[in-house]
Formats: sequence, structure tokens, C-alpha cells
Amino acid sequence: MILRWWLASSALLSSMTIVLVIGFLLHSSWPLLQQQGIAFIAETEWYPFEALYGMLPALLGTLWSVALALLIAIPCGVAAAILCAEILPPGLRGAVRFGMELMAGIPSVVYGLLGMWLLIPLLESQLDLLTGRTLLAAGLLLALMILPTIMVLSEDALRGVRRSQREAALSLGLGWDVSLWRVLLPQAWPGIRVAILLAMGRAMGETVAVMLVVGSIDRIPQPFYNLLQPAQTLTSRIGREMAEVSVGSLHWAALLFCGLMLAMVAISISLLAHRRVVTA
Amino acid sequence: MSCGALIHRDRISKSVVLLLALPALILPAAALGYILWQAAPVLNWHFIFSSEEGVGFGVTEGVFAQLIGSLLLALMACAIATPFAVASALYYRLFATTRQQQLLSAMFNMLQGIPPVVFGLCGLIVLVNLFEWGVSLASGALVMAVVVLPLLMLNTLAALERIPQEYTEAGMALGLASGAIIWRLWMPRSWVNVLTGLLLAMARALSETAPIMFTATVFSGVVWPDSIFSPVTTLQTHIFYLAQEANDPQVINIAWGSAAVLILLVAIFGLLARLLQKWGRH
Repeated sequence: MILRWWLASSALLSSMTIVLVIGFLLHSSWPLLQQQGIAFIAETEWYPFEALYGMLPALLGTLWSVALALLIAIPCGVAAAILCAEILPPGLRGAVRFGMELMAGIPSVVYGLLGMWLLIPLLESQLDLLTGRTLLAAGLLLALMILPTIMVLSEDALRGVRRSQREAALSLGLGWDVSLWRVLLPQAWPGIRVAILLAMGRAMGETVAVMLVVGSIDRIPQPFYNLLQPAQTLTSRIGREMAEVSVGSLHWAALLFCGLMLAMVAISISLLAHRRVVTA
Repeated sequence: MSCGALIHRDRISKSVVLLLALPALILPAAALGYILWQAAPVLNWHFIFSSEEGVGFGVTEGVFAQLIGSLLLALMACAIATPFAVASALYYRLFATTRQQQLLSAMFNMLQGIPPVVFGLCGLIVLVNLFEWGVSLASGALVMAVVVLPLLMLNTLAALERIPQEYTEAGMALGLASGAIIWRLWMPRSWVNVLTGLLLAMARALSETAPIMFTATVFSGVVWPDSIFSPVTTLQTHIFYLAQEANDPQVINIAWGSAAVLILLVAIFGLLARLLQKWGRH
């Protein structure tokens, strides 16, 4: 009986962490919402000293960097998964997978170091830019970081496709590419979808690496699809400004609101991913 | 379509897949190779196992203090998180109703999805400022514990779920108490997998930077923490500050060297987990 209570209270306390975090974020960013309504989300100017807290530049920056990362990492990662699961002999397959797992284990700050001292000078010299700290750099770096997630989980999904399905495709005389598009990928799609969602969450929440390469300038790129300009993401803003802000000020509340937005999107993503796993 | 054309088409589509996958094959080796190549000038035993406060801007002669700081934080985080994670997993398997199980797994999945920087933010305000723990080992360890908690809990759960249902049913049919089921039936069969999860959590805690950036670490001035309420230096933040501030090539080499040491450290825990997992299967 004691055991049961002890386990139950631990479980309750652990699962309450998330409620506490969200409640706390909401409570702390409340002063800002009270004073400025909700309209500041769509404003473009972020000047904390003049009490302007437009969220649009950082939101757009996060959106662009994540979209770019996914655009690169999905085809590449899924292709690598197909290569591993369907084409390569077992020995090589193990080697590629090991490489991916190794890459997944590289800490994000090391990616930041690579981005700052390898990628940025490269971009500057190749594209003839004033500064290599751009959305493009952030997107490329994030693509590199989420590649292992997409590849490893997609490979698991492809391996999980039943043998009978492959045999049926073979016996129908389908070519390799047809059976890939019509049988394997649709069958593995629930798993690949989860892989993409998880990678998206990771890319959105990545802080240190992005902070080092994105440039941290609160401006909407001109024109808005120009990826070759410095920008800001929600996470890099938190990382840059949190240490300098005084507790309890409106600026502080605005940064917490950035955190709240990140948490809400992350929760929606994990709910989506989780629901699919249950139904699949 | 003739057989030859079909084979030809197969070959083309396979080449397209190979071409698309090429970056995934090359980049891990390239990235790792580049880091090691850059780190080579500074990397030696003296660099890893010494720590002297050097002259000027954080140009320490070695990274031993940072190494110990990283390990200390990760160990404390896992020590805090493990009891809660294991207890939650046990509750899930032993007592929870279906509805509670759904709720618990949803909660932990959500917790895992939240960006670590958000926990760092909460830690900075609640632990550092409100509780007045200051920028310290204790604050950082608690924040990091929350970061690894879902990972530990889900891994422990997976380990428990690998135990055949018949074992548990037989135990219950014999009228064993819950405590006996845990200790006599589950523990012997699953401790290897639980330990594997713990090692993976250590690797994770060693590689996170954002949650401890504001809560636990300072750049220089501290070599060894005196108590759990004093700040530490860690490899992760050391790399971060050096990457950001340094102009001197010598200092950047130190950053690359620290990166190599950190990767090595994470890889050790990852490999240990792998070996343990293989050993557990036999």
C-alpha cells in the first residue's frame, strides 16, 4: 500500500512538471498580455526599450529556418533510409547506421562551432556575402542536425513493413521503383511522418547552434523570402537576451511569451505524432 | 515492357536514391574528421587532464575542470531524475488504469517534445531567482533532470514492457505482493535495459547546452565548485563562449579541442550503452 502511494505520487509529480512549466510561463507572461493585448504577435518591431514587442520577425525566422532544414533533410534522410533498408548489403548498412547514430550523438554546441567557423566563412566566400550569418546558414546547420533523426526513424519504419507486402509486390511483377512508391513508402508512412514531426520539433527548439549562426537581428528579411540576410528565431532571441533582462519587467514577460509559444507548438507537434502512433 | 528496360529503370531509380542519400553518407565522416583535424594541435593528455587558469580571456591550459563540471552536472541530473522516472514507469505497469496510462504517456511525450531552452528559462526564474539558489550546480542539475526525465521514464517503460506478460501473470497468480513482483521478477530481467537507458540519459545530459547556459555555468573565474550552490564551468558552455568571443586562432583551437573531448565523452556513454544492450540480449 505504501509502495503504491509512493509510486503514484512520484508519477503524479513527474507528469505534473509539464503543467507547472506551462502554468508558470503563462503566469509570468500575463503582464504583457494584459497591457498590450495579443496584437503584438503580428507586429514587426521588436524594440524592448520602447516597449515594442513585435513577434513577427522571430516567428518568421523560426518558420524559415525550420522549413529550409526540413526541405533539405527529408529527401536526403528518407533516401538514406531507403538505401540502408533496401539496397545496401548488411555490412555496409550497419556502417551507415552507425555513422548516423554517431552524428546524432554530436552535441548541438559542436554543430554551432562547425557552423560558425566552417560554414559561415564558406558561405561568405562562396556567395560573396557581407556576413555569412544568415537564415540560410541556420537552415543548413539545422538540416545537418535533424538528418540522423529522420534517417534512423525512417529506416526503422521501412524495416517494419511486413515481408508479405514485399512478396506480394514482387509476385505482381512490380519494378523496384513502383513497389517503393506504391507499397513500401505508403506502408512506412506513419513511421516516417512521426520521424518528420520529431525532427521538426527538434529543429524548432534548437538554441545554441542557431544562436551562433543566425545573426540575431530582429528584422524581417527584405523581401521576406530572402534567406541571405541575418535574422532572429524565437530560441536565439531567448538565448541572446535572457541573461541581460531584469526579472519582472515587460521585456522579461515578452521573452517568457516566446518560450510559451515554443512550448505550445512543441506540445501540438508531440500530440500529433503521438496520436498517429496510437492509431497506426 | 521488356525485361532489359525494367532493369535499366531499376538502376536509374536506385542511382537517384543513392545520389539523394550521398550527403547523409559523407557528412558524418566529414564533420567528425574536420573536428578531429582542427583539434589535433592541442589534443593531448595534458590538455584533457590539467586545468590551470591561464592568462587572458579564458585561455586555460586544459579542460579538466570543464570535463569534471560536465560530468558532475550530468551525474547529479540523472541521480535526481532516476527515482522519479523509475517510479513513474513502475506505477504505469503495476497500478495505472488504461486511462491513467494514456494520460501518463501523453504527458511524458509532451515533456520530451518541449525545447530544453524553455526549461532553462523556467529554471533561471524559479530556481536561480525565486528560490535564490543562484547560478549554481544545484539549479543546473535540477533543470537538466527535467530534461532527461522523459527519456529515462520512456526507456525504463520500454525495458519493463520487454518482460514477457506470462512472468507477471504467473507472479500475480502465486499471490506475490507488488514489491515482490518488482524485486524478484522484474528487476533481474530488466536491470540491464534500465541501465542502458540511464547511460543514454547521461549522454543526453552531457550534450545539452541551452538549459544550463543561464542556470549553472560561468565562463571563467571558477575552477572547482566548492558546494552545490556554487557555479561550475562545463565543456559545453566553454565551447560556446570560445566559439562566440574568440578571435585568436590559438583560442579557437582550444574550442575544437574541447569539442573533440566532449564528443569522445558522449561517445563513451553511447558505446557503453550499446555494449550493455548487446550483452543483455544473450
